[in-house]
Amino acid sequence: MTQQISFILDGRVHQLGFEPGSPYTPITTVLQYLRSLPNHKGVKEGCAEGDCGACTVVLAEPSADGKLNYKAVNSCLLFLPKLHGKQLITVENLQDAQGTLHPVQQYVADSNGAQCGFCTPGIVMSLFGHYKTDLSAEREEIEDTLSGNLCRCTGYQPIFDAALKALDERKEDRFSQEEQDVAAQLKTISQSGVRIETTTHYYSFPASLQEAFTEMEAHPGALLLSGATDVALKVTKQHQQLPEIIDLSLVPELKKIETTGDMLRIGGGVSVNEVLEAAQKPFPALYKIAKRFGSKQIRHLATVGGNLAGASPIGDLTPVLMALKARVRVMRAKEQRTMALDDFITGYRQTALQEGELLTHIEIPFLSEQIKIGAYKISKRRDLDIATVSAAFRLEFGAGKQISEANLVYGGMAAMTKHARQAEDFLQGKEWNRTHAEAAARLIRDEFEPISDARSGADFRRIVAGNLLIRFWADDAGTK
Amino acid sequence: MSSKTIHQSAYKHVSGASVYVDDIPVHNQLLHGYVLYSPHAHAAIRSLKTEKAANMPGVAAVLSAKDIPGINQMGPIVHDEPCLAEDEVHFVGQAICLIAAETEERARQAAATIEIDFEELPAVLSLKQAMAVQSLMGPERKIERGQVQQALKEAPLRLNGSFESGAQEHWYLETQTALCLPGEDREYMVYSSTQHPSETQAVVSEVLGIPRHAVTVEIRRMGGAFGGKETQANHVAAWAALLSNATRRPVKLRLFRDDDQIMTGKRHPFYIRYEVGFDEQGRILALDVEQNANGGSATDLSFAILERAMFHADNAYYIPNMRVIGRVWKTNLPSNTAFRGFGGPQGIVAMENIIDRIARQLSLDPLEVRRINFYDMYKRDTTHYGQKIKQNHLPAMYKQLTASADYFERRKLVEAFNTQHEFVKRGLACTPVKFGISFTTAFLNQAGALVHVYQDGTVQVNHGGTEMGQGLHTKMRQIAAAELGVDQDRILITPTNTSKVPNTSATAASTGSDLNGMAVKNAVDKLKFRMAYQVTEYFNQMDEQNYTLSKHIMFKNNKVFDATNPDRTISFEKAAQICYFNQIPLSATGFYKTPDIYFDRETGQGTPFHYFAYGMAVSEVEIDLLTGQHTLLRTDILHDVGDSVNPDLDIGQIQGAFVQGAGWCTMEECKWDESGHLLTHSPDTYKIPGIHDIPRDFRVQLLQKAPNEGTIRQSKAVGEPPFMHGLSVWFAIKDAISSIDGHKREPELGFPATNEAIVMAAKQFLD
Ligand SMILES: Cc1cc2nc3c(=O)[nH]c(=O)nc-3n(C[C@H](O)[C@H](O)[C@H](O)COP(=O)(O)OP(=O)(O)OC[C@H]3O[C@@H](n4cnc5c(N)ncnc54)[C@H](O)[C@@H]3O)c2cc1C
Ligand code: FES
Ligand code: FES
Repeated sequence: MTQQISFILDGRVHQLGFEPGSPYTPITTVLQYLRSLPNHKGVKEGCAEGDCGACTVVLAEPSADGKLNYKAVNSCLLFLPKLHGKQLITVENLQDAQGTLHPVQQYVADSNGAQCGFCTPGIVMSLFGHYKTDLSAEREEIEDTLSGNLCRCTGYQPIFDAALKALDERKEDRFSQEEQDVAAQLKTISQSGVRIETTTHYYSFPASLQEAFTEMEAHPGALLLSGATDVALKVTKQHQQLPEIIDLSLVPELKKIETTGDMLRIGGGVSVNEVLEAAQKPFPALYKIAKRFGSKQIRHLATVGGNLAGASPIGDLTPVLMALKARVRVMRAKEQRTMALDDFITGYRQTALQEGELLTHIEIPFLSEQIKIGAYKISKRRDLDIATVSAAFRLEFGAGKQISEANLVYGGMAAMTKHARQAEDFLQGKEWNRTHAEAAARLIRDEFEPISDARSGADFRRIVAGNLLIRFWADDAGTK
Repeated sequence: MSSKTIHQSAYKHVSGASVYVDDIPVHNQLLHGYVLYSPHAHAAIRSLKTEKAANMPGVAAVLSAKDIPGINQMGPIVHDEPCLAEDEVHFVGQAICLIAAETEERARQAAATIEIDFEELPAVLSLKQAMAVQSLMGPERKIERGQVQQALKEAPLRLNGSFESGAQEHWYLETQTALCLPGEDREYMVYSSTQHPSETQAVVSEVLGIPRHAVTVEIRRMGGAFGGKETQANHVAAWAALLSNATRRPVKLRLFRDDDQIMTGKRHPFYIRYEVGFDEQGRILALDVEQNANGGSATDLSFAILERAMFHADNAYYIPNMRVIGRVWKTNLPSNTAFRGFGGPQGIVAMENIIDRIARQLSLDPLEVRRINFYDMYKRDTTHYGQKIKQNHLPAMYKQLTASADYFERRKLVEAFNTQHEFVKRGLACTPVKFGISFTTAFLNQAGALVHVYQDGTVQVNHGGTEMGQGLHTKMRQIAAAELGVDQDRILITPTNTSKVPNTSATAASTGSDLNGMAVKNAVDKLKFRMAYQVTEYFNQMDEQNYTLSKHIMFKNNKVFDATNPDRTISFEKAAQICYFNQIPLSATGFYKTPDIYFDRETGQGTPFHYFAYGMAVSEVEIDLLTGQHTLLRTDILHDVGDSVNPDLDIGQIQGAFVQGAGWCTMEECKWDESGHLLTHSPDTYKIPGIHDIPRDFRVQLLQKAPNEGTIRQSKAVGEPPFMHGLSVWFAIKDAISSIDGHKREPELGFPATNEAIVMAAKQFLD
């Protein structure tokens, strides 16, 4: 058991305790920490809520093959303990010892990709994160990489041009040379048993499911977190203290993705980015929605478990997973139960989870050919925006052309993710054609009573909810 | 002039080494400032109890209006904006108390203990409500030419209507920040993220009740500003200074993003009514326009903004009989303020919609109606306020852009696409801009510079302009280097500082390079004159045979030489040393004022602008009628920057301004609830364009061979004019919707054209 966290920064292992008198607490964010240091002021705060990317840093962690995985993340959403066992790379670290700029820096500068420069460190770090993967340098991929970085000055075109050049000519950089050493160093940092207890806070990292349950029993009031993309806002926006935290992000059992016979099992701690990769082939609709989830940085942090357990009516994964008839496995010390996702979500930000229970994984049954699935997200901005309305559809066909079962699931239309029951009933036994789609769309518009808020008016929600079913029909029928 | 020069801070920006106000190292006596603001749109303050907060450990000061040693005012022109609310609050977000504490967290906790007893009062929360209750901010303004009523009556065709455009949040990446350090006696050093250091200095000195000479304001760079730091940065600086004054300690005040969005003003929403008369070809004969601006709770720059909207009510079109009436209305919202374009976009978008409506009524391509209404170079060349338009590039640009963007061919393709598609439609639009350059308050058109040459041949250049990303310092460095004939790396541009160049104007109205460039040149000219004289003497003493004339001395390639006798060449540093030993000052101030501009507000006539900048944009969009999502397929821009000092920086301004303008037109929406609370107070709900929202194909060209007369290196201002190109996106979306029934009916498309607005507008046609 250790009271301190260890991570690599500026080429050496830092140990950070949280002794009395320390300026840091376990809920200090990495952004606050870096900005308190004299030599890391390049990391900027633009919003403190994950929505601008100015605070982007890259975390490197050892992968199975002895190398490192590099991920761009929002340092404003990262509690300090989450650095444990990782290498933290900031914009100040990219130049080599001779002061030569990293290619991503060089190209951004030379293409005039920086005007006021305030967004630039974050942009550079997102591009660096991309540089260190084998993702392609296609337009879509670059836009994906920069989906979480706002720039108010340049109009992005010069940044895009710079990215294209830098990523197209990827070669070894100083990080490639140091990779093995850093990976080896990180391996020496114990991944287990970190527990930080200060006069004001308790923060622990269980290293197994078993340990997690023991912790939960010992600290019944503790807040669980995985990616903390939801939880961190309680601190950065609402200034709450969160005295007790159990961080599930180092529990290996929660991070597995497995294919077992007729289904895909995804651990509760799997990040949305990994879901996206796993879903691409078997579940294109889930892939499509995961691609529109937050930003690249958010997807690196956010987990399936956090998304479902958060039970937000505008959470992105719930509707599509409901349409896929996903089941949820929840567990406490010795018991476990599996339920349909429909039964797991019980109300506005409410779930069937009971005290002491965890969401360990979800199971998504593979689809037969008689099933059509579609999923849509309506948001004001394409990237990094919460859904105004989302919808996921599942139509099952029997032997004939008739729909044997319809599932039409909506987010953003009620206090919780909800089926359009009347329209579902209407479609049952009908043929899937334009007339029926339009008639069902009218029913959908009538059966919900959405609210007007900052994102849109109620009328738009109602209309577009119906339209989405027509869009599904049109996509399916190839009508443009 | 146009050798490739990247932004002078580019390498620092990409390596995180650029220093912004919040990055300045301060010793451990720093205190953190915090502002407690009004939770009500309009209320009387019955009582205010701050004792608990003041007694909390770690709290160094809690201030309210009664603690202000100077005057409780920060209105830049009209003194109607209290620094801290006294007995009444006028908008949600109005500052009431200031707190300085050891940490931000402690300051926030202290603020939570302050007890204020409010009595809520009725509030005016929208422009329409303000108009209904006649809540005028000041007298109405008028510009008139010809016989509008008569011409309207006689016009073969008429249309009337209204146009509403919304607020826009600046969303500079760096929120408002100031750091104040107390000095000896009552001197203060204020580092402020401000576009207008001299005014920041003035406001700080006024609230502290000390003379201006005791306050120095400095800014190296801002993390974006866009007009939002022209007056409202003063507030944050004044608050930091008050706390520093009360505690005698350094105080930093950095607004949290949500607070910044809640407390500061935005682009003025406008409600414009009009009646237009035209003939069968679409030629406009008469236009009567009434512009109403939502000023918010205080005057700020509202009348100057209104004035610019009125000057741009014609956009690029000659309108023989025209009347513009302008009013600013007072509401219980934060005082709206400068934002790139400064009223211009609001005036222009309404005019463009008038054109668009005329075209639809006549079943013409809107571009044709635009073309026949353009100002020309013969008779139709005087604006409604009497300024003659010289060097009109509109007709030439129209030819060049319609060809390079393949407008007419693509118009056919778009129509073909639309007949083949039911649920997705494409739209195409070309919009022009003519934008007047100068502060319309004539005396503001002045600038100063201070240039020092050192004996090693290096040079320091100071000028009154501020750097907010636009590359002003880069251009000033290029200009100084070119004028002095030395390499750019010899020139250092120092932070803008009120003790170096006093009494400056804001870096605003796109005038930064024009004014400061001339001032820098003026200082350099003085130095060169002195140096040339000394070098002449030097040459002639060395060798009395061939007499060198001072006027033949040239400065080039780090050398000073006699152009008629290249044997007589010395290095630039040698020239500096000669001056030094001859006891000649190597420091000079420069000054510039724009000549021949004036405007008579009584008659509404004059020549308020030094010149006009022109541009034109073509955008093509695809919209999904079912979901309202739009994709910007391609944008072509042709823009006039005269003879560019730095084409890359200018293109950067154009691209950035376009995307910001497109944001205003398509997704940026400020919403308030029924009690005046901003709903869109963070980037969670206030959406500015992201990388996916830019044109899939984005082509920007500068107009070539178009030197501007009488400006620095024959260049033109570029900051604001290209913002207007964003309008082409809104009109392209409208075109796409209008195609649903063959352009017969006028779509009622909201502004901005969000997915909601698009679906609602499409619904009119589909139901
Ligand atoms: C900038 C930004 C953008 C966002 N964009 C989107 C978006 O586009 N779509 C979307 O749906 N959401 C979005 N979110 C919300 C959030 O990222 C997601 O809901 C995310 O999936 C939460 O996962 P997490 O691991 O970060 O959850 P955490 O914050 O760690 O936890 C959230 C909740 O779930 C509980 N929890 C976590 N793991 C478990 C578990 N295994 N078992 C039981 N309970 C658990 C926690 O106790 C907590 O109550 C966004 C958030 C931010 C800050
Ligand atoms: S500060 Fe904006 S995303 Fe972190
Ligand atoms: S360069 Fe200013 S925000 Fe990107």
